[in-house]
Amino acid sequence: MSDTANDTANDQRITAAAIAALPGIGPQRLRTLLSTLGVHDAWHTLRGDLAPHGHIAAMLAHNHLGRSLRRHATDQLLERTAAALADHAMRVVLRDDPEYPASLRGDFAAPAVLFAIGDMSAFTKRRVGVIGTRAASAAGRHFARRMSRELARSGVAVVSGLARGIDAAAHRGALDDEDESTAPPIAVVASGLDIVYPRENAGLWDAVARRGVIVSESPPGCAPDAFRFPLRNRILAAVSELLVVVESRASGGSMITVDEAAKRGITVMAVPGSPHSESSAGTNALIADGATTVCHADDVVIALGLDHRRVSASSDARARPSSADRVVLDALARAPATLEQLVAVLDLPVQEVALRLGHLEVQGWAVSNGGWWEALLAS
Amino acid sequence: MFASVRSTTLLGVVGRAVDVEVHVGVGLPGFTIVGQPDEVCRESRDRVRAAFLSRGFAWPNRRITVNLAPSGERKGGSGLDLAIAVAVLVADEQLPESLVHSHAFVAELGLDGSLRGVVGAAPLVSAVRDRRVVVAGANVAAARAAGARDVVAASDLAHAIACLRGDADWLEHRDDDVPAPTAVVPDLADVRGQPVARLALEVAAAGGHHLLLVGPPGAGKSMLARRLPGILPSLTEEQAMSCTMVHSAAHVPMPAGGRVSTPPFRSPHHSISLVGLIGGGTAAMRPGEISLASDGVLFLDELGEFAPSVLDALRQPLEDGVVHVSRARTTLTLPARFLLVAAANPCPCGAGTPGVCVCDDAARARYLRRFSGPLLDRFDLRVNVGLPAVHDLVDGTNGETSSQVARRVRSVRDHSAQRNVDATSTHGSRPSLNATIAVDDLDRVAPLYPAARAVLRRELEVGRLSGRGLHRVRRVARTIADLDGMPDVVGEQHVATALAMRTGLAVLTGGAR
Repeated sequence: MSDTANDTANDQRITAAAIAALPGIGPQRLRTLLSTLGVHDAWHTLRGDLAPHGHIAAMLAHNHLGRSLRRHATDQLLERTAAALADHAMRVVLRDDPEYPASLRGDFAAPAVLFAIGDMSAFTKRRVGVIGTRAASAAGRHFARRMSRELARSGVAVVSGLARGIDAAAHRGALDDEDESTAPPIAVVASGLDIVYPRENAGLWDAVARRGVIVSESPPGCAPDAFRFPLRNRILAAVSELLVVVESRASGGSMITVDEAAKRGITVMAVPGSPHSESSAGTNALIADGATTVCHADDVVIALGLDHRRVSASSDARARPSSADRVVLDALARAPATLEQLVAVLDLPVQEVALRLGHLEVQGWAVSNGGWWEALLAS
Repeated sequence: MFASVRSTTLLGVVGRAVDVEVHVGVGLPGFTIVGQPDEVCRESRDRVRAAFLSRGFAWPNRRITVNLAPSGERKGGSGLDLAIAVAVLVADEQLPESLVHSHAFVAELGLDGSLRGVVGAAPLVSAVRDRRVVVAGANVAAARAAGARDVVAASDLAHAIACLRGDADWLEHRDDDVPAPTAVVPDLADVRGQPVARLALEVAAAGGHHLLLVGPPGAGKSMLARRLPGILPSLTEEQAMSCTMVHSAAHVPMPAGGRVSTPPFRSPHHSISLVGLIGGGTAAMRPGEISLASDGVLFLDELGEFAPSVLDALRQPLEDGVVHVSRARTTLTLPARFLLVAAANPCPCGAGTPGVCVCDDAARARYLRRFSGPLLDRFDLRVNVGLPAVHDLVDGTNGETSSQVARRVRSVRDHSAQRNVDATSTHGSRPSLNATIAVDDLDRVAPLYPAARAVLRRELEVGRLSGRGLHRVRRVARTIADLDGMPDVVGEQHVATALAMRTGLAVLTGGAR
């Protein structure tokens, strides 16, 4: 009896996934169909077995949508969908499932169907979104990683998008500690869960799936199309209790997430950067608009109303730079610079500056990438 | 009946003596040239015959056979025309053999009998410089520059014959070659600020290190590169001769005097073909840009725009200092001891600055694929050149002049030549430069202070430096220490500076770290 119930529930998930995979069905139409008709009736309406009524009929009549859907809504689609879900150990979470993220269920733009790999219980932890530009500076990546490590250590699940730059650094930080008490990472991605994008994050992708959860509203096989990213960003914002922007240019994907968070009344926090650094222009503007500043993981933990003392216990293991090296580090702290810029600003011989940079690099206070030097001050 | 007259042909940048043998005998009237003449050479028949008739010489209506000895090698070019004409006259007994036997003839004939200059006059004449060489007026300067003691010129075939007979005087020395406008090498004083780029130029010049300048458009990469010849030591007698030969063979405009005396600066456009850069092509095997830049600077602007196959062909000449060009019929070796300077944008958008660059990763990866790792590895110096600071441009004072820097370069080169003289070079031809110190000699020629050694050990341990990179850094550090007035042991600051001037193009690998 209970097996039959499970089978029915499982069939229902596969059917819902198949509807989501139909061409012409976006998040909005999917939500309308499933909330009006339920999975079973929606499928049969789309197949033409049931006559559509009211606004569903109007929707299907628009641009002959119904005709094209009838052609695609076949038993083969169900089989293909079931196979794809099984191949990637992918689960389908419907809006009325208990494991569906509670903060998302009440959202005005909640996805009717979520695909997930990993353990959905991560959504029951305290959650902070950590986002930022893909073209991040080394200092930004360093900060995102360190902050995320400390958040995870204090039991806060780090939510991010598995993109390059800040996102990847945030996930890496959340994965840095292996012990039990560390909160699991949460990734919200734009493509289907069988399409790893960007490819270079494949290892990170697997690690997040193993230790935490990756969710997407795109059915298997969906490419990382540009239009999916803003949609992804709304989910990322909606599942976060707080949103921390580490680095962002004045316009960009991170700002879309910030707007989505603002619509939902979610607190946005930002990491201040040098006014000389382009990659901090967006975060500095957020702070000017009233966003709370984040200079340390403590700031986030306190904003969540948690005890921050455990976080503060960690200290900087790096050796203090010598006073001569400090001069160069201070100049570097303002913005990334080339050797030439440093020589000009400090008015020191080239050899002297090169020597100091060498010391700072060994001690971990500065990194060089392609001739650009950046300070790693934030600790 | 038979005559033999001396002339020369060109192969690559070397002239080779050729005996033009003519036999005039019985048989059906005819005119054949044997001994592997190329197309231009075969056409001599028509030019020589027309010149005879135009100038009132009798054309022997008998069987004329011309042999170009040694007949096993292919001959090219039009420089044999005059020799063939003279040999026919001698063989037909219109001119006594005794008047031509100590002469050599290097000129093309017009249909009206006039003498014309030929490409590669300098190397051509150098092959016969122990004789009296008869050339067209246009080639007198080049012939003299080639070291020929006795050069004479005539205006046309009849004039030349009259002079040989003693009935007329050779032309007064004329220099019809249009001399290239005397190239003024721009001065380093024009460069304001940019201390690191200036240092990189100085190190490149003093140690012979190949240099890659990476920076956004407008940073002054070309401006810097063009000032490099001005701080290089002037050419030795031997180098000047070698450059003159190559420039003449490639038909590149010469400075007044027909002689290259300053280090050449060659800056080919990025659409250049493989043959244009390396050499080869015609039967005469024209020297390419790398040979023209020998003993000077080869500047490749917009390195990323060159065809990858063309760039990769640079690798062997960079190692060997010469280029071996082989074709089906010939193999020859051309000089290629150039200092390579290249300029590249840091990425497709050109910004390069972290946070400002708008290139997506795919575009950046595509751009990076254009540079092969082995080629990038040949650049000892990879330096970021930023946009000059506004206050330097507006209020700044001029920097050091080229002559001040050249003096330091000169003294480092002199000193290092003495020090490195026992060192076996990787390069064979130029043991004196720091860039070519052999690996085995590094410990002796460029010993390290313990702190400097520790820096290098750390770089190797973290994997930022390869074994080959280590040697290159040590050579650059040697030069920096030399410029610093420390010709013995290399210090930590010198190694740190060498490492800091080796980063440039790595920005192309993007932010993922």
